[in-house]
Amino acid sequence: MFAIKLKESNVANHSEYSKVSVLVVGAGPAGLATGIQLKVLKPELDICVIDKALDLGNHNLSGAVLEKEPLSTLLDAAKPGWRETDEAKLVLANVIDKDDIMFLLGRNMAFGIFPMIKMARGMGLGFGQMIHHGDYSLSISRLTKWLGGIAKGMGVEVLTGFAADHVVFDGDGVAAGVKLVDRGLNKEGHKEPNCVEGETVQAKFVVLAEGCDGLVTERFVEKAGLKRQSHQLYSLGVKELIKVTPAQYNRFTRGRVVHAMGYPIWTPVVGPGMFGGGIVYAGEQDHLAVGMIVGLDWKYHDFNAQDALVRFKEHKFVRQFIEGGTVVEAGAKMIPEGGWYAVPRDPQTHSIGKGNVMILGDSAGFVNMLKIKGLHNAIDSGIQAAKAIVASLDKPAAAAQRYTENVEASNIAKEMQTAQNFRLTVAKFGPLQGMPLSVLGRSLPKFHVEKDYEMMTAAPYRLKPSMSFDKDTFTAVAATAHREEQPSHLTILDRTICDTKCRPVLHAPCITFCPAGVYETIHEEVKPANPSNCLHCKTCQRKCPFDNIRWTAPEGGGGPRYKRM
Amino acid sequence: MSDYIVLVKQVPDVSQITDNAFDPETGTLVRARLANVINELDAQALAFARHMKRISGDANARLVALTMGPPMADEVLRYSLARAADQVVLLTDRALGGADTVATANPLAHAIRRITQEILKCGDDFLVVSGMQSVDGDTAQVPAQIAEELKLPCIAYVTGAEYKNGRFEFTRIISGGSQTVAAKKLPAVITVAKYEFPLFATFAGTRWGAKAPVIQWGANDINAPLIGAKGSKTAVIRVFPPGKSTRKCQQVHSAGELAKIVVESYKKGDSQAATAGKAEDGKYLLPQRRKSAFERRWEATAKEQEDYNLLARVLKDLKITDVNQIDAAAQEKILAAVGTSFQKKALEDMLAGLKASEPAFRGEVWVVAEHSDGVVHPATFELTGKARELADSLETRVGVCIAGENVAHMAQELIAAGADNVYAIEDPLLREFDPTAYRKAISDAVDKYVPQIVLYAATPQGRMLAPMVSYRTGCGLTADCTGLDIRDSSRKGEIGLLLQTRPALGGNVMATIRTKSSKSQMATARPGVMKRLPADPARQGKIVKHQVELTVDDVSLEILKTELGHGQVNLHADAIVSGGKGMQSRDNYENLVGSLTGALSRRLGTEVERGASRAAVEQGFIERIHQVGQTGTSVGPKLYVALGISGAIQHMIGVANTETIVAINSDPSAPIFKQCDYYIVGGVEEVIPQLVDALGAV
Repeated sequence: MFAIKLKESNVANHSEYSKVSVLVVGAGPAGLATGIQLKVLKPELDICVIDKALDLGNHNLSGAVLEKEPLSTLLDAAKPGWRETDEAKLVLANVIDKDDIMFLLGRNMAFGIFPMIKMARGMGLGFGQMIHHGDYSLSISRLTKWLGGIAKGMGVEVLTGFAADHVVFDGDGVAAGVKLVDRGLNKEGHKEPNCVEGETVQAKFVVLAEGCDGLVTERFVEKAGLKRQSHQLYSLGVKELIKVTPAQYNRFTRGRVVHAMGYPIWTPVVGPGMFGGGIVYAGEQDHLAVGMIVGLDWKYHDFNAQDALVRFKEHKFVRQFIEGGTVVEAGAKMIPEGGWYAVPRDPQTHSIGKGNVMILGDSAGFVNMLKIKGLHNAIDSGIQAAKAIVASLDKPAAAAQRYTENVEASNIAKEMQTAQNFRLTVAKFGPLQGMPLSVLGRSLPKFHVEKDYEMMTAAPYRLKPSMSFDKDTFTAVAATAHREEQPSHLTILDRTICDTKCRPVLHAPCITFCPAGVYETIHEEVKPANPSNCLHCKTCQRKCPFDNIRWTAPEGGGGPRYKRM
Repeated sequence: MSDYIVLVKQVPDVSQITDNAFDPETGTLVRARLANVINELDAQALAFARHMKRISGDANARLVALTMGPPMADEVLRYSLARAADQVVLLTDRALGGADTVATANPLAHAIRRITQEILKCGDDFLVVSGMQSVDGDTAQVPAQIAEELKLPCIAYVTGAEYKNGRFEFTRIISGGSQTVAAKKLPAVITVAKYEFPLFATFAGTRWGAKAPVIQWGANDINAPLIGAKGSKTAVIRVFPPGKSTRKCQQVHSAGELAKIVVESYKKGDSQAATAGKAEDGKYLLPQRRKSAFERRWEATAKEQEDYNLLARVLKDLKITDVNQIDAAAQEKILAAVGTSFQKKALEDMLAGLKASEPAFRGEVWVVAEHSDGVVHPATFELTGKARELADSLETRVGVCIAGENVAHMAQELIAAGADNVYAIEDPLLREFDPTAYRKAISDAVDKYVPQIVLYAATPQGRMLAPMVSYRTGCGLTADCTGLDIRDSSRKGEIGLLLQTRPALGGNVMATIRTKSSKSQMATARPGVMKRLPADPARQGKIVKHQVELTVDDVSLEILKTELGHGQVNLHADAIVSGGKGMQSRDNYENLVGSLTGALSRRLGTEVERGASRAAVEQGFIERIHQVGQTGTSVGPKLYVALGISGAIQHMIGVANTETIVAINSDPSAPIFKQCDYYIVGGVEEVIPQLVDALGAV
């Protein structure tokens, strides 16, 4: 009664399982929202969501503040009564009731400027969007894990540990599927006995929801000839989850979020002059999330966002809440800040993606820099992609256009347009002039800005702490790990540039700014010496002053293992 | 054609313990708060089985994965399906829960029988493959006990296989080296200690595996007699957090001074583990030796102790001095006086317990000796010392049971180390260690003399032999104990029990365990934890020759080759010298680590292994097999010398169980200086030659 069929290998004979109607690359909020919404609209459709992380949520890092609207829309349709589930109560426990915006001046002074933001709102200025009352402050790792469970429960196949390499095209230039990353190669790239070559997953629709600076997305953008009106601009966020005393936590209060500008990354006149700021959010009981977000267009060769984080944590205002605490988790991730002008589109049709390939969330760059939020847009873009797929089942090649129409008609486009000039203006004129200027909003022209990496100079960061940051402990609590015996997933394109142009003048900034300490000088040669510490933030690829570093996806299952980021 | 049954287990992920996984009240790690993963060695076993299938060229061989656990353990079966398994079986039932190794091995063995008969219909043509041990239990007992139940040979600690002349030849780890063996006949149980090519899931296989059927059996489907807590032969009576290790962080200013300290602290050898398990209230006394019947300082659990203390106070107040005086009226008074501290039933049990004076077990305290080339293993002497202490408390004799071709000449040394009787089992068939033959010999002696306690060294050999003997003789066994104490459980009227304390969950908790439903209490103890007594050549003892009927069929393995010492990496060595990135080059690593290893080995008279940090391996200073740390091998030697290692947390986690850590680094702010016992700030190229010289002179 239990007789089994004889076969050489159980897995080789399952080629029918290499085909799927919808393949979503990236199991973050955007990708999972696509899966969930598709199951709502078309339950019989087969959908796979793959992710390079070992487990759901492991590669997701954000502040995070989430506007309620798109999540409610998604889950009301997918899972009536979802608000009453234990998971919802755990993930969405913190509703923001205290929204502080601070300006830090020097090490001790802090001014609340929330009234100004409120005033801006009253006057209808862009800044007025930066209000978070009633939003959730949450862990995106947990949100992702929860959404993944809901998706699975609805029949979406969510597969973690599978890294995607590139979109595969058929003879007519239509996407036929996605090639996965090989596993089981040794350092030299030779096959080990357990090697599994990356399969090609055939799909009618490909949804790219990889997050910021996605490997498959960027390769697709290039291959398919998509264009951005303006370069993508990035910032790097470094974040620590700190366990504090109940007294400190209760004094901070559960529903509070703090956004701080100024010190230590921007000080009027004397500098430094960088874009960004610090955050303090309440996490679960007795845990505070402290982070520092810095625009990648900084010009100091010896700057490291973690140094700014240290300064921020030492600031009197922040210190009172975290002094004596223990960092229990940490991580780093980039944010796409270029806004609406930096969304990659087909030059002819203006579709965000092309044919049967759609680009979502942070991969597209749906971050509203006036709100400094993008999570709600990511979820919304997943809903729009699902609707587009269902509407183009008979004509997959029309999906990207349909998706783009949906996005243009949605709140995503509406709010992204109001914010479209903000970051560009700041990048062009610097925070001091740029911020006030940006209140002119959409009436400003689209300023041309340089790429982030072109801004690096030999100038030093004035506020560098005396102690070098302990990156080892940072990566340890990020729980990052990769199989050691695999080819390095980080490549320096031309070593001579490092030796002749970079080191003599800029002293190899990658060594300093990589938050995981991947780069080192060994025997007079700068190299990615510790690729297994990589946090997949890809800052090196976007900030190497000579655009000389390339990040590719390592074997699936590697990377950080965030649980509460 | 052979089919394969691979045993897989779902375990808590002890590599990732977050701060909220600990109970805030007790400080104990809560297993339910950890993520679940497949046991790493079982993942390797699955890959190893597929490797065996490939090298034997047997395309038709089938592979069945079997697990026992709660319903969610089907995740490890899906894992197996996504990689190599053709069919999977989940053994799940509430009645199977709470099992110790015996009550795990027994139902698994019954399930294996049913799989071979009904699913594979393969007769005797199959192999059982499993990981050597699980990361949560860490005992290595279950596979050996399954082999015992199924009457199969067991080849443990396997690291490689070749297929020659129609059969498998296995390489395995033995104490101090490696060995190539073949099973004389199939079926056999293979336990995998290391296979470096675990399988990757394929996309298609994962999707198929998620949908493939899982055969689910409950207790009634396998009819195993020993299941659940009821069928277990041991019971956990206490779980507590391990003592925090406090490193001395003492700076040393010269190589000469350091050499002296290294030798002294190594010789002293009182490990943290040994102190953790040490009796706090002095030597155990049997009831008749105690000043009064109410002296109850040696209760098994803290709660029992507390209740007795209270009872003693109340009895004193009531001026009751004899247990037999306590009638119903007196009991009422006692109950009134203790308030809600304990109930009537508990009081009755306690009073009955107070009347008990006879030990629960009788017989000698035994040690099963290990030896090679006519030399007794140091761990045997350590255990003999511990057995002496236990036997003195229990007022019985120490017996050492030694089996081999020609062993009587080692008896005198064992007597000098504390033995009263040496049971020598001599037979030409015992010339080399064969688990099946040895377990028959030892079990036969245990059955005849019925010792109350049997101790084995937790060496590869002892960890193989002990589970087979205990299973065969129907006794409970606790693995890798770091503490052994005699206690009472007078509430149950049990006197003179052996309490066995051991680390669990990867050393993150300690558990105290007792034996039940057994005629002997058995335990293995880690080498180096117990203390050897100074040899007393004047001691008198007896040699008892024990004859066992052995035939060629009792020998299950054919030993093809034994290699001792060289060419192997033994990170279980007593001392390890590790080099880090600070070694600068492969030549430097070779010269400096090499010379210090040699000097320490000569000076300390022990095996000293070479280790390395991940960075050093990355730089190609040495092969990866030497890597120590979170992503390499976790080690717990008596002495760990870190050269040019910065002390990244990933590395330090892997050496946490070390007794003495010595660091040499040129960077005064190296984090390792805050996590070691002794350190020198200085360049390795300068300090090591001085240290080597000084070690020669000390």
